[in-house]
Amino acid sequence: MNNALMNQTAVVGVGLRQYKRGTAPMAEQGVLIRAIVDACEDAGIDPSTIDGFATYGDDKNEPVRLMPDLGMTNLRWHTQVFGGGGGGIAGAFGLAAAAIISGQADTVAVFRALVQGDSGRLSAAVMAHHLNDHILGVGNIAPAIECAMRAQRMLEYHGVPRQCFEELVRASYFHGSRNPEAIAYGKELDLDAYREARLISEPFGLFDCSRENDGAGVLILTSADRARGMKKPPIYLTGVAQGTAKGWGDLLQNDDDYCSAGFKPIADRLYEQTGLQPRDIDVVQLYENFSAQGIASLIDHGFCTYENVAEVVRYENLIAPSGRLPVNTSGGNLAQGFIHGIGTAIEAVRQLRGESSNPVPDAHHCLLAGGPGAPTISSAIFSNVTG
Amino acid sequence: MRGIGNDANYWAGLEVGEIRLPQCATCETWYWPAPFRCAKCGSWDFTWKTIAPEGLIYSWTRVHHPFGGLESFSQPFVTLSVELPQANGIRLFGMLDDPRAPAIGARVSATIKTTHIFDRDIPALYWTHHE
Repeated sequence: MNNALMNQTAVVGVGLRQYKRGTAPMAEQGVLIRAIVDACEDAGIDPSTIDGFATYGDDKNEPVRLMPDLGMTNLRWHTQVFGGGGGGIAGAFGLAAAAIISGQADTVAVFRALVQGDSGRLSAAVMAHHLNDHILGVGNIAPAIECAMRAQRMLEYHGVPRQCFEELVRASYFHGSRNPEAIAYGKELDLDAYREARLISEPFGLFDCSRENDGAGVLILTSADRARGMKKPPIYLTGVAQGTAKGWGDLLQNDDDYCSAGFKPIADRLYEQTGLQPRDIDVVQLYENFSAQGIASLIDHGFCTYENVAEVVRYENLIAPSGRLPVNTSGGNLAQGFIHGIGTAIEAVRQLRGESSNPVPDAHHCLLAGGPGAPTISSAIFSNVTG
Repeated sequence: MRGIGNDANYWAGLEVGEIRLPQCATCETWYWPAPFRCAKCGSWDFTWKTIAPEGLIYSWTRVHHPFGGLESFSQPFVTLSVELPQANGIRLFGMLDDPRAPAIGARVSATIKTTHIFDRDIPALYWTHHE
């Protein structure tokens, strides 16, 4: 296995601007420029140092338009992972690393920006990527509906207990309640409210679904050599895998592993590339568009199986600092906020720097599991050690 | 119709009240979505076979939230994935068209009806429980 990418690049700065949907104080491009400058200040670099960009999920902000405000001299790299969903989030780091390692760029901003007034509802944009008359004819027009079908079979056929959904949501809210930047700050999940919430698409109730925020998130990636001389400790990109494998994709319900999140081949590649195993992962930042897909992602990445999922996906086991599998230590998409998942990547870096609101003791390796259930997906491992 | 892949014959079938699905003309492999090329044997020729409108519920969801676009739907409604044993287990989207509670594995039969969405009429499979 070629592991030429391993620990050769590192995140040196992060920036996050998040607002309640519909309340961003400026247009999407302005929010993004703010977040880029925040990330540069975090890294201790001038914004004009940036010479590349990578993104995912049909982001509408063409990097060339950002050049004047950032004072950039050269745009050397601008790429986007295919796909409308959050499946490409980790893959965007692979694009950035490829540029840096091959000498095509030195300092790449990985970003995602979303302000509803400019880019519309995310859920509609994601589905617009897939809508055809097979799907329209049965009213399957939102990601929640498609994901609910997979979730229903997970419960009814594979016997995953419904309680696992609640355990994951509750852990997300626990972390979010302790994170001043989170939408759930100061409020843990009200279990009665969760259980009695209005139904969205069975088996999902309101609190099983991520809700969209306005905002932008940015992570600055550069070579490990440059990173080591910078303001904050480097958080290395240890491995990344993207795409899919035969039997999964835009297949009109004919995916082989129907109730999975599609990650098994991606997780296999990631573990082979890095030499790490699920037991080596100290903390997981899990893109959960919906509760069930978060659980499917944990199964796909080897943390549990249909048989023992109830032993692993337990509230006490999923929370920092005491749980063995701390998940979404910022609150995740459900309770921190949802800017198409970019907040989960930022939390991976903050956690490994020791800056998280919910620190995991002695954490060295953090898995970033990208958007589950999308036709193409991606995952990455970040580390604060190279050994 | 705005389908996916090489599926014009599927829509043509629905127009005359039939479910037609593609099988490689050379190696007889069933496919869905409809391909242009059989990756197994390299053939570009497909035979569209008419399949009896009978299947098994593979999964389902009952949709409660009024997502934009569902204005003409009577909610809640149940949308389905249905497995067709006669076509090597290919799964098709469908609507549940009777009030009985769905269950995975239940036997269902289809009628072709029209769904009105985004100001268009789209033919779709409406399934009822098999008596």
